Amino acid sequence: MKNFRLSLLACVALGGIGFANSAFADPVTLKVWSIDGDDRPGIADTFSKEFDEMNDDITIEYRYLPFDDLVNETLRAYATGNAPDIVSLDNPDFALFSSRGAMLDITDRIANSDIINADNFFEGPLNSVTWDGKYYGIPKYTDTIAVFYNKDLFEKAGIDHPPQTWAEFAEDAEKLTDPENNVYGATFSARAGEEGTFQFLPIIQMSGGSFKNVNTDGAVEMLETWKKMIDNGWVSKDVLSLGQWDSTGTFNSGNAAMAVSGNWEIDRMVEDADFDWGVTLLPTLEEGGDRSSALGGFDWGIMSTTKHPDEAFRALEYFDSQADRLYDEFGYVAPRSDIEIKPSGNAKKDEAIAVFLDQLQYAQPRGPHPDWQKISKAIYDAEQAALTGQMSPRDALDQAQATIETIVN
Amino acid sequence: MKPLSSLRDGIGFDLALVGAALLFLFLLAGLPLVYNVLMSFQQVDMFTLNALIRPFAGFQNYIDVYRQPEFWLVAKNTFIFVFFSILGQFTLGFALALFFAKDFAGARVIRGLFLVSWVMPGLVVGAIWSWILAGDFGVLNAILKGIGIIDSPMFWKSDPSLSIWSVVIANIWLGLAFNMLLLSVGLAAIPRDIYEAAELDGANAWERFYTITLPMMRSTIGAVLALGTIGTLQQFDLFPALTEGGPANSSNVAQFWSWQMSFKLYDFAKGATISVMLFVIVLFASIIYVRSTRHEVRG
Repeated sequence: MKNFRLSLLACVALGGIGFANSAFADPVTLKVWSIDGDDRPGIADTFSKEFDEMNDDITIEYRYLPFDDLVNETLRAYATGNAPDIVSLDNPDFALFSSRGAMLDITDRIANSDIINADNFFEGPLNSVTWDGKYYGIPKYTDTIAVFYNKDLFEKAGIDHPPQTWAEFAEDAEKLTDPENNVYGATFSARAGEEGTFQFLPIIQMSGGSFKNVNTDGAVEMLETWKKMIDNGWVSKDVLSLGQWDSTGTFNSGNAAMAVSGNWEIDRMVEDADFDWGVTLLPTLEEGGDRSSALGGFDWGIMSTTKHPDEAFRALEYFDSQADRLYDEFGYVAPRSDIEIKPSGNAKKDEAIAVFLDQLQYAQPRGPHPDWQKISKAIYDAEQAALTGQMSPRDALDQAQATIETIVN
Repeated sequence: MKPLSSLRDGIGFDLALVGAALLFLFLLAGLPLVYNVLMSFQQVDMFTLNALIRPFAGFQNYIDVYRQPEFWLVAKNTFIFVFFSILGQFTLGFALALFFAKDFAGARVIRGLFLVSWVMPGLVVGAIWSWILAGDFGVLNAILKGIGIIDSPMFWKSDPSLSIWSVVIANIWLGLAFNMLLLSVGLAAIPRDIYEAAELDGANAWERFYTITLPMMRSTIGAVLALGTIGTLQQFDLFPALTEGGPANSSNVAQFWSWQMSFKLYDFAKGATISVMLFVIVLFASIIYVRSTRHEVRG
């Protein structure tokens, strides 16, 4: 009798749960992975939280991943069937996934969307999410490199304008070098990694080459110039092992008069640098020559294994609709030409970002190519072999070209 | 009834214990190893990572690795890294062990402090050495300049002729405590009266070291060298922290190269192939280690 009553109770209880279920549908859970939100709020974690709160039918599980683990972890998750629904990737890594069907083709969804408009995006960032003429994601933010210069040191050396060509860059660096006061003429990053390629590929592109055609005369000449600058002590030998953040640190502390670096440095420079500084476009190979620059930044994509493509796309729409907040709140440049950057009130900062926006028009994506990392290694290996004098610039670039041909063909 | 009692106190019990350990080893170490060797003979693709059955590649991966332009440079660097790391760790470790065996006031405390390097994670050690070895504002250059050994800074991490040595120096520091500790234990195990007898017979310090210490320590030394080789071939953290194998692969070694292939270039088959090549070398070191410890048990 007791048992019977218990089971009756259980039936009622279970029925109640079943009823509750049908009345309030379980919210759909979307897994979002990105590198934002480790030490301070970033784009992906902030927007994910907002989107979660404004939608009762969607719950977002946000996961922070360190930059170096992002691709590996996503690859592994995809291979074992535990992929996230939405992931944001560094733009040269995107093709690895989209070219192999790991990303959802959202071309039609974008065409039907009232919020996302493909025409709004800058061409470079949009290219990085495009594969075979289809869109596999949307750009998240973008950045590029230019030359920061120390106006005080320029004045002291009697130079009245920032360098416009690389030859001028080298001349100025010589004049600005002051070993007595631990000042190098210039600094950049020629590290054995993606950053090395990021800063060297624009030179190849300016000289008429591309990632498929790296052994141009202009690139050879440029490596000779850079090598001369390192050998003569106008540039520290440590550019071969320093990343961009550390290399620009020497500029901020007044130990280098010029620095090739990106707009992500502006806020730090406003805080750190106790001298007058400005930004100028990346020099060209000859006066009035072709301009080029590196394209950085991340992309959003929906993984093809998602069970909730509609909800995931709604999330992407929300992320894109907030693009006008990127610069004010997070210091990133929106990947869209229809968004104007509002003045911050800090003259130096506003002048600097204006130059970077100008520079962005010349920024070209790395790839897209599914084997980008191997191409990149060939490029930075050649750069390093030439700058350390292990090979002549011509031989080093020829070897890189041979390696790249086995990859792209 | 009989198997049960044999399980409790007979040979069956021993076999069960050994069996459990073997099973454990096979699951944790054996399977990944087999998987790794298998992968080195297959065509692996990023999307077939978790599959066991993949197209057979024969020795193609091995040929491809061998044909990489950096193959011989990496092989040379690996040899330099292992040989000189061991040489430094062992000779300095032995010298320190002998020194602290003197048992002067404070010897134990100072010896204890040496263990700090051993408990620190490799990445932290790498970051600290990265500061010390920095070219323009590094501590080491400041010291060398201060005592007049060099005029202009040495670019430890960026000069291709120095970069591998910057990692060797950091690794010697990292492994020093481990060597000193094991050798100290070996020294402590030598009975004091042998030395006293030798002294009475008129043997000087060098003769005592050469005829007593070294022979009595043979098995310890063998074990320390073999373990050092294995540990050095596993040393990975210092490379990303110090040089990333650069400039131009001048400080790249097999273990870092294998990681680079797998997790930077996503060429998992080549990464597995390099690690199988490494495994063969470690296997030789392990054989030496096992032989030297067996000698110890008999002796």
